[in-house]
Amino acid sequence: MGSLTPDFRFGNFVGSVVWLVFVVLVLVTLLILPIIFFVLFYVPLPEVDGQVLTPYLFFSMMVDPSRTLPVIQFFMHLDIFRAAVFPGFAFAALIAAATIFVERKLLAKMQLRVGPLYAGKVEGIFQLLADGLKLLTKEIIVPSGADKPIFWLAPIAFVSTAAAVVALIPVASGWVVADVDVGLIAAFAILGFFPLIALLFSWASNSKYPFLGGLRALHQMIAFEIPFFLSAIPVVILSSSLNLSDIARSQTAFWNIFIMPINAFVFFISSLAELERIPFDLPEAESEIVAGWLTETSGMIYGLIQLGSYLKLYALAGLFVILFMGGWYGPQIFPQELIPGAHDSNLPLLQMLALDGLYNPVTVNSIFWFLIKTIVIIFLFLIIRGINPRIRIDILLHTGWYKLIVLTFINLFVVLMLIYGGVIGPGGMISAR
Amino acid sequence: MSNLDGIIDEAKKLSLQITKENEEDRLMTLSVGPQHPGSGHFRFTIKVDGDYIVFVDPDPGYVHRGHEKMCEYRNHFQNIPHLERPVIHDSCNITYSYSLAVEDLVGITVPRRGQFLRALASELNRLSYTLYWLAIYGIFLGHSTMFMWPAGDRELLIDLLERMSGQRITNAYNIPGGARADIPYNFKERCLSQVNYFEKRLNEYDDIFYNNPLLRQRTEGVGILSKEDAIRLGVTGSVLRASGVPFDVRKVEPYDIYDELDFKVQYMKTCDSFARAYVPMLDMRESCHIIRQIIDKMPESGPVREKLQFNIKNPPGETYKRVESGRGALGYHLVGDGSPKPYRVKASVGSFRNLLALPFLLTGSKLGDMPAVYWSLNYWPVEADR
Amino acid sequence: MEKANSNSNSNSNSNSNNNNNIGQSQAIEVRDNDNYPLSKEIISSLSINFGEKVKVVYKKEFRSKLMVAPENLVETALFLRNNHGFDHAESASGTDYPADNEIELNYHLGSYSNIDYYPYIVILSTRVNRDDPKSNSLINIFPSVEYHERETYEMLGVYFLGHPRNERFILPEDWADIPPLRKDFRIKGR
Repeated sequence: MGSLTPDFRFGNFVGSVVWLVFVVLVLVTLLILPIIFFVLFYVPLPEVDGQVLTPYLFFSMMVDPSRTLPVIQFFMHLDIFRAAVFPGFAFAALIAAATIFVERKLLAKMQLRVGPLYAGKVEGIFQLLADGLKLLTKEIIVPSGADKPIFWLAPIAFVSTAAAVVALIPVASGWVVADVDVGLIAAFAILGFFPLIALLFSWASNSKYPFLGGLRALHQMIAFEIPFFLSAIPVVILSSSLNLSDIARSQTAFWNIFIMPINAFVFFISSLAELERIPFDLPEAESEIVAGWLTETSGMIYGLIQLGSYLKLYALAGLFVILFMGGWYGPQIFPQELIPGAHDSNLPLLQMLALDGLYNPVTVNSIFWFLIKTIVIIFLFLIIRGINPRIRIDILLHTGWYKLIVLTFINLFVVLMLIYGGVIGPGGMISAR
Repeated sequence: MSNLDGIIDEAKKLSLQITKENEEDRLMTLSVGPQHPGSGHFRFTIKVDGDYIVFVDPDPGYVHRGHEKMCEYRNHFQNIPHLERPVIHDSCNITYSYSLAVEDLVGITVPRRGQFLRALASELNRLSYTLYWLAIYGIFLGHSTMFMWPAGDRELLIDLLERMSGQRITNAYNIPGGARADIPYNFKERCLSQVNYFEKRLNEYDDIFYNNPLLRQRTEGVGILSKEDAIRLGVTGSVLRASGVPFDVRKVEPYDIYDELDFKVQYMKTCDSFARAYVPMLDMRESCHIIRQIIDKMPESGPVREKLQFNIKNPPGETYKRVESGRGALGYHLVGDGSPKPYRVKASVGSFRNLLALPFLLTGSKLGDMPAVYWSLNYWPVEADR
Repeated sequence: MEKANSNSNSNSNSNSNNNNNIGQSQAIEVRDNDNYPLSKEIISSLSINFGEKVKVVYKKEFRSKLMVAPENLVETALFLRNNHGFDHAESASGTDYPADNEIELNYHLGSYSNIDYYPYIVILSTRVNRDDPKSNSLINIFPSVEYHERETYEMLGVYFLGHPRNERFILPEDWADIPPLRKDFRIKGR
């Protein structure tokens, strides 16, 4: 129960409420309504379904909700929607957030704990929200002598670079933010920025442990970049394309992982190293160099870098699925119509639920299978963390430079032999094309 | 020409100086601890050349509380609660050693049941301490599951100790004259069942931690402390046994009832960090074995402690008694002068002796080996500071 | 107390290994006791080689305390290491005796290389002048005393000649009082 201040008077309270309402009304009439009308007057609204989108159309949508469908359909095919919502940033950020939560719960179960429990009624599902709010409200401490512009820019650069990788990942045929012809090379090129950001940030922090961590990050990522890239070469040879959508389409007959399991393994290990996750979390090895290049991060700077690294996790898991696990292909399990008979129904609400024009069974099926496969890969990434200790830097470099590079060549030769033998590849015995 | 030669010589000297300065600049001084997550209440300054450690200087004393001085102002029973503070997880072993020294100095015979109970508490504490140590070793190597499992299983032993002494960790159970309290009803069955369960869990530790190839890669052949060096540096406990010296105070100088128990001194000859990490594990199995024997051989009834007067007077003289604690031989050098308070108490603790091996092992090793070597030394910073 | 005394008296001629057989309180003189073969061996060999220079303070089953003059400390330690296999020091400590104006240094020496001497501890002690306490460091004979001697230096103010680092070790860096384990250092309120 709240307590009242001694000089509380109900009349004053009512008066203040009335005053507030009055101010809001005045503001709306004098300021907001004119702005809306000016905008609607000057901004050419798109033509949807033969009708120009006017404010009156919005009002009519309240009466007939099914009229919103064409509008949604229109917006869904805008580039800005793809980049910002699906399959771009918001979608990936949602998966990243879910990954963080699942990771915490999964690790907790592996370690005979309960994990987040109190925030939110059920199993602490709002824990992430609470953590995010906490990070948002915390003070950001900039070390003295830090290179301030770089210190502030690096976390933003980290997130945007991670989002750039996400933009290249197709989740279904045609559902990709940037469908570029050199998608694979672009992905590797963008991933190559991360050590640079780590090094810049660690240098800008003006502290010893971040500096050591940044150098370690640089060493580690360069050592694993080469096997990372080499492991994708047989895939490119096989599908004769660098476009990620084409690579996925070339696997309708069989998944690449069945022909090149070693490369898939190398790619997985390299992704772990690229992600700086246990057992390759040397740049953040807490017992050696405190928190590595993240030592001086605080508040939302840490939050952004954390978000970026989980975006990266999703992107790399997606890349693995595209390259080795047949992309979005899977048995068709979604029906041709969402609700049988709804399409021809007379009831407007039921007709709307058929999601006419929005619901495409093939696309939905593709997204479903892509997500399932990606989640499996993400789980593999997570489980590794629960059962392994950290590796040492020299063993890591040795693994990267000597073992993994050699391993990639084995499978490359196997694939080349199969192609020249006419078993797979264009015109092969078990080829899709 | 001659002028030019002189200039060249001078230039060479100058450039030599410059290279020398640059060599100094290569080194980076890192202060590991006490705010470092990989040190504990302890600091050591290291200088690194790239990823190699070239200089180590331990600087203990962050939690020094002068307990040797404090002892001189209190009588024996007042001393017990503050003596166990340095290693609260291994409290019974610290007080055990002190009690043995007092009994030796004053001349007290502990009742037989009391001797068994003290040994039981000491073994339970050893298990509990080793689990705590193992948990931290796990997290130092980045193995978070190995942090949680021992920390959780430690509850089993803490539960038993709580039933024995009424406290979870600062037990104050072994006091001069015997055990402070008798065990409650139905304790033996519970103890046996929990210890049996615990022994099964040890196999799972093997599976997830010690047999992990990455862990083996990281610890095997790292920080080799040869037998000669171990002897020269006078290390003790699991560090010594990992270097191939089968030295266990329980065996070589049995106190209380340890000469009646059948157990082996576990040791390894590989001398590396892995051996130092694995010997405590072998010790834990041996401790389970010992606990079962104690439960088996303990007299059903009888007094658990010799009743002493509170201000018992020390005869003039001195003694040195030691026990095998979780970190090795733990001895108390006690000097009496005829008053109820000890004239001088000197604790020779395993941690402080093992500390000497730290700079020896770390100098020249890689920075990545630091946690693997440092914590394998079975070093408890608070105990070393006393 | 009576019981304790009777125990110690009755056990002086028995060889049982119970823990109550070493309650001899006051034993400055040497007792010729054949029941402790380890002690006997060491002490006889020391008395042959050093004669009167080494005084035996007490002798128990697994312990014996030898008192030497500060100038004989190093050679006795060297003899113990080379001839009897005492290869490490369990502790090195000091005790302040303001009444005698002396500080007693105790080195608890043990053996890891000689399996017979595993349970045995020789307490090698010497007494130095309290006003200007100086003693030879044993660091070249037993490297294991390095930190113990540093601790003794700061806790009792004994300067160890030949020790490379007579420096602050455990105490805080801004400690500016007399060495705390001296008897004239009083704890506040006690």
